[in-house]
Amino acid sequence: MKFDKIEIIDNKIEYENLLFYSFDSGSSLKIEHLMGYDAIIIDARDNDFARYIIKKIRTHYNPEFYLKPIFLINYKESKDPFLNYLHDGLVYSYDQIKDIAEVVKQIFFKTTQLDYQLIPSFEAQTMKKVLNYMYTRELRTLKPYVDLNSIIGYTFPEISVHFDDAEEAQVLEIFDWAEREGLIWPDFHERIYLCNQCSSGFLSYREVCPHCNSSNSKSEDLVHHFPCAFIGPISDFKNPIDNTLTCPKCNKGLRHIGVDYDKPSIIHHCNSCDNNFQDFFVKAKCISCTQDIEVQYLIPKSINVYKLTKKGRAAATNGFLSSGQEIEDIFGTINMATFKIMLHYELERIKANPSQKTSIAIINMENIFELYNKIGKKAEKKLLEDLVHMIRENINAADFIAFENSSTLYLGLMNADTMRAEQQLMHLSILIEKVIKTNFNGFDVKVLHKGKILHTHSKAEMQLQEITKDLFD
Amino acid sequence: MRFIDEFYNYATSVDAAKLFRMFWFFFIFEFFRFFLIEITTLILWKFTSFFRKTRIADARLTLLEKQPFVSVIVPGKNEGKHIYKLANSLKEQTYQNFELIIIDDGSDDQTPEICRSLKKSGFIDAYYRNEVRGGKASAANLGLRYSRGMYVIHLDADCSYDRDAIENILVPFYYDLNIGAIGGNVQVRNYKESLCATLQAIEYMDTISVGRIASSELGIYRVISGAFGAFKKEALDRLGGWDIGPGLDGDITVKIRKLGYKIHFEPSAVCQTSVPNTFKKLVKQRLRWDKSLIRFRLRKHRDVFFPNDSFRWSNFISFIENITYNLILNVKWYFYIADMCINFGSQLFFIIPLNILLYTANNILKFLVFSPFRDRKNESISYFMIYLPLMVFYFGYFLRIVRTTAYVQELFFKTSYKDTWNPAKSSAHAKALKL
Ligand SMILES: [Zn+2]
Ligand SMILES: [Zn+2]
Ligand SMILES: [Zn+2]
Repeated sequence: MKFDKIEIIDNKIEYENLLFYSFDSGSSLKIEHLMGYDAIIIDARDNDFARYIIKKIRTHYNPEFYLKPIFLINYKESKDPFLNYLHDGLVYSYDQIKDIAEVVKQIFFKTTQLDYQLIPSFEAQTMKKVLNYMYTRELRTLKPYVDLNSIIGYTFPEISVHFDDAEEAQVLEIFDWAEREGLIWPDFHERIYLCNQCSSGFLSYREVCPHCNSSNSKSEDLVHHFPCAFIGPISDFKNPIDNTLTCPKCNKGLRHIGVDYDKPSIIHHCNSCDNNFQDFFVKAKCISCTQDIEVQYLIPKSINVYKLTKKGRAAATNGFLSSGQEIEDIFGTINMATFKIMLHYELERIKANPSQKTSIAIINMENIFELYNKIGKKAEKKLLEDLVHMIRENINAADFIAFENSSTLYLGLMNADTMRAEQQLMHLSILIEKVIKTNFNGFDVKVLHKGKILHTHSKAEMQLQEITKDLFD
Repeated sequence: MRFIDEFYNYATSVDAAKLFRMFWFFFIFEFFRFFLIEITTLILWKFTSFFRKTRIADARLTLLEKQPFVSVIVPGKNEGKHIYKLANSLKEQTYQNFELIIIDDGSDDQTPEICRSLKKSGFIDAYYRNEVRGGKASAANLGLRYSRGMYVIHLDADCSYDRDAIENILVPFYYDLNIGAIGGNVQVRNYKESLCATLQAIEYMDTISVGRIASSELGIYRVISGAFGAFKKEALDRLGGWDIGPGLDGDITVKIRKLGYKIHFEPSAVCQTSVPNTFKKLVKQRLRWDKSLIRFRLRKHRDVFFPNDSFRWSNFISFIENITYNLILNVKWYFYIADMCINFGSQLFFIIPLNILLYTANNILKFLVFSPFRDRKNESISYFMIYLPLMVFYFGYFLRIVRTTAYVQELFFKTSYKDTWNPAKSSAHAKALKL
């Protein structure tokens, strides 16, 4: 048996045509330089460093990077789910590279089977990345792990890695979406309650005074003395000298509970405002934003273990068609199906009348979901309505608009060649950015757009896919 | 027809002496006490009201200036359904510096949910609940224990109150500083519901409204109704609150009297209550009330008859009057019936209609004469007029028989201790202690 000496030269390790890159906390490397390496070994002596690198790689938009096999060396026990569940193996010395080579090859093989169709929706994009990752690692379930770093207290490493700790609640929304799309199947695990302001799950529940919200109170038994019908807190009956209980009304000693007296209920005295009450309010104080919330206003959420459905498992290799969110009922727009039909007729019209120039265009608000998650569904719809209204004012009456989803819309622009379309789109993009910035506390929306004249030598639907692809590439 | 002629002949042949001999009971006791004395007092009261006017106005001014904090306590079991209406109507009161405290004596219906939500939305200020029922006295005492007002007003959940009722019931405290407790004017709200309720409405107008003006003036006003009464907190605190009922309303009145306070009836503080609408329910209610006479006057508070430290002539007279007119006369009446049967047996055929005629005439006269003394009426005089003939049977026979039954039951069998009105745990103690 021949033992190859494993050598590290400039952080590079070569083994059987495989190229490994070894990261340690001393290396400063741009992720993009990893192009061409087959796998990465991270020195995990520094947990924070390892976490940082893993996050950086796994959240990269390019599958070349986010699917890259990662191994940890010098790893000590940690509770961080990102460290525990987003690597492909642990090694104790570089000599073990021989053992992991097979894993790297297997992942690489799986990667070649993937479909990289682009889907113009935030949820779909994110979910597709997760499904691709799971396919290459042969994972079937997305499991929640208790995580103090996550604002909701739970982390689903494969998907949560794409979000900041404070945005963890968005993960639950993506799950809701994926469940509606039939990609995953929930299995109840736990119920959590979230702050209605910041979605934090770190809540401190206290019984507070209903008058002043203070939790500084004293509780006492009420005592009812049967013979004289006197009733009061037990302190009324306490005899300071010998600790016996004597009725303050009739001066008789209390003898036997149930016979001459009983304790019909409990009373609380608030030390802050001096009020007496029997029913505490239960309030939850949010540890993250310090808001004090009545429990009925907390947001209940289920934490589930998600299993991939057949559709979910197939999505990695076959791609999937998002059914899109129901945003058809916005005044001034048509749905995608109608949009495609109209485009088809438009194409027929151009064929018959070649001097006609019609363009198709796509507008995508790349980071708009960050805003949607803050303002909620109702404000989201209102915003879309306002945007449509504004776009309508700046295009021709015969032009048509359709939403693909709440971040992407398509336009059919009559009497516009590619140049004219691009001009119009530039103008609209600036308007959209301005409107959102002024209405939502200076939120900077990133607007992407692409316009192209309809030509007669391919189908309208094909041309739509083309500009979509052009936009996201 | 022949009977009417004979009756007419008989009636006209009766001279004054014979009339008195036949109706001595009426002339000596009832006409004297319930007509002559009362009308004299009322006339005097009306006559002197002119002189009180400025003093009352001053008292009202002082009250509104000082704005004393008042605790309104409403004890009860399963009264949740009435609380919203009550709280809402109290918001309309002209006097507003009060806290509304609801005490739930172990309700087993929706009451806790209702009250908790009303408290949350600010309709009531405090809600205290005994998980285990303790009886009306202990519920009132729980309210008293946590009330912060200078005055405590005791209300019933199912009553309603005139807009100025709270203001009016407080004024007398500033009219005479010796007044320790004030009773409100309780009227019958559901007087149209049934004959039984109508008759009670007339009874309330007579004995409760007008009768109490007189007894209050005479200083022998006995029972501050639980439906509407105002108390000095300090007086209730000295007593440790209410004792076990039934009849706790009368009991607390006596005890406050014993402390040396005056008790006052305020006709302008009007409260509307629903009375029992069937005779069956009415019998049950009255048996309980009448038994408390024996229990409280003869047993618990017999010391008012003895000259000791707390002896007061007004208390003594109030008790004597009460016992005479309720207990002794009730027994005497049977003597009277016996007297009639033995000595006038052959004439009973005529005496009974004559008796009814006489009482009816008296009732109508009294109703009309007393009418001007009733400031606030729930219905025109004519509405009630047609029912007046029935009052003979109601007062003379129905109530009298119920009363007799109550006295016999209580005197010889002490049945009030078995009343489910109190939980058994409390009644057992009351009986053992001869309360
Ligand atoms: Zn006691
Ligand atoms: Zn407080
Ligand atoms: Zn929060």
